[in-house]
Amino acid sequence: MVLEATMICIDNSEWMRNGDYAPSRFQAQADAVNLICGAKTQSNPENTVGVLTMAGKGVRVLVTPTSDLGKILACMHGLEIGGEMNLAAGIQVAQLALKHRQNKKQQQRIIVFAGSPVMHDKKALEVIGKKLKKNSVALDIVNFGEDDEGKTEKLEALLAAVNNNDTSHIVHVPAGPNALSDVLISTPIFTGDGEGGSGFAASAAAAAAGGVSGFEFGVDPNLDPELALALRVSMEEERARQEAAAKKAAEEASEQDATMTEHASEGPSGADNKKNEIPDDDNTLLQQALAMSVDEPASTQDLQDTEMSDAAAEDPDLALALQLSVQESTKDSSSEADMSKLLADQSFVSSILASLPGVDPNDPSVKEMLASMQNQSESQQKQDEDKAPEKKEEKEEKEEK
Amino acid sequence: MACTHDHSCEDHDCSSNWSLYKHIDLSKVTALNEANPGSVKSVFKAWEERLNSSGEHLESNEGDPELLVYIPFTSDVKIKSISVVGGADGTSPSKLRVFINRDGIDFSDAQSMQPVQEWDLVENLQGVLEYQTRYSKFQSVANITLHFPESFAGDTTQIHYIGFKGEATQLKRDVVATIVYEITPNPSDHKTRAETGGGLSHVE
Repeated sequence: MVLEATMICIDNSEWMRNGDYAPSRFQAQADAVNLICGAKTQSNPENTVGVLTMAGKGVRVLVTPTSDLGKILACMHGLEIGGEMNLAAGIQVAQLALKHRQNKKQQQRIIVFAGSPVMHDKKALEVIGKKLKKNSVALDIVNFGEDDEGKTEKLEALLAAVNNNDTSHIVHVPAGPNALSDVLISTPIFTGDGEGGSGFAASAAAAAAGGVSGFEFGVDPNLDPELALALRVSMEEERARQEAAAKKAAEEASEQDATMTEHASEGPSGADNKKNEIPDDDNTLLQQALAMSVDEPASTQDLQDTEMSDAAAEDPDLALALQLSVQESTKDSSSEADMSKLLADQSFVSSILASLPGVDPNDPSVKEMLASMQNQSESQQKQDEDKAPEKKEEKEEKEEK
Repeated sequence: MACTHDHSCEDHDCSSNWSLYKHIDLSKVTALNEANPGSVKSVFKAWEERLNSSGEHLESNEGDPELLVYIPFTSDVKIKSISVVGGADGTSPSKLRVFINRDGIDFSDAQSMQPVQEWDLVENLQGVLEYQTRYSKFQSVANITLHFPESFAGDTTQIHYIGFKGEATQLKRDVVATIVYEITPNPSDHKTRAETGGGLSHVE
């Protein structure tokens, strides 16, 4: 709840026409700006936010720091793309705008969206940074879009010059499927220096994480906060329980792997603690289990190797399904859905598990693992993509036999 | 200008004169260009502790000796003189410019504005020098801003103690915080005389 006046510097240069951020760089930027304004004004009603553009005909202040969200959103309409970004001038004008803020008690902060190449040299940026630090202005930099040589270095140097006690931050957002605003939500730019974030940021983060454009669990947290909270808590607990069960199942699937048993023995006893553990841990175990079951050449389980190939030869459905999954894992879009569909098919999965030694499909912990596999198939799929070319080789070998 | 102590201090108790530090609103004291945020609060202490440099002191950032210290008081004070103890090896400030009752001053303002008073300082490591003010200008000070533009060596500035001598009034110069302005009148707020039972005497 820091009392803050913020100036947001928007890059509306020609580089923003590019579509590598959906729908276009400029649109992604505008969404991020809207979210930031909302978060700032929500976290403290006396916060003010202002907006200026850095490219176009020249640096232009669209709205001076105000707490009226409507005014800010309105000025984002009808912005035109063109020209080149002038970072130094933009920052200096922002500093001037903040200097003349009405409430002198507010802390000063500038948020810069640096999407196009930076023309100034490192020295000039460092001088600007020092001046900001001297006047106790914090600076947040969002580095996205163009990535030419030296741009990251220059922005890092600028941040180092400004940074006073970790009040300034830089975020690098590479192009990808995630929206710019989604990536920013989890950064300190939104959450405001680790104070835990406003309710706005938290609920926006929850919505993004849930993968639903509306509300998590289909329940509006504003309409029914207790229900939404209860659903969220029970989901966390279920996830924790499934992770612990998955660890146990992974242990059963590979008795000879010393590391895994070590992890698994910790699992049942420290189930609650594991809730907060990095999910990668669990996923590597799961992935190891699957890798072993799919005849991974890196593993040293020769015994299981032969068994698996026998099983594959005996069960044409299994071989076909595995082949399908391997093929589709090389494609990006549908891989997740298909893999999860395959895994969701109970009979298919239990037939795989039946062929594994030491796994009883009727074991309740195994059944829980099946359910958890659905949830984790997404992240596991990413790791599987690396294994896919190797798996493919393996499949081809088997077919030749 | 100097407070010549040819007798020892314990006799006439200098410290009671320098008691304005008690009226400083420490939570709202800020400084610009300080190396450690919050270290500025450590320079306001009792007269006896002015030479005690074991705790923190105020230091400017590397390579930049300018310092700007904003000090609000809990009530209006009258300041007779100011004492500043700097650091050794040329890190003492060499000039002092002072602004009264202005908040939100930053470096560009401080450099361009005319100060209420300014002094050329001398290295005052023993804390025996004080700088008198033009008392008429320092009659009702709610807050004061000290600007140290440079130091003797030129690299950084260190300050161990800032003291004020004077007296505190009990008055507070307060901004009117809560006023409700009516855009349209609310009839229930405006009772007529008939309703309140007053009015003209009735006619028999």
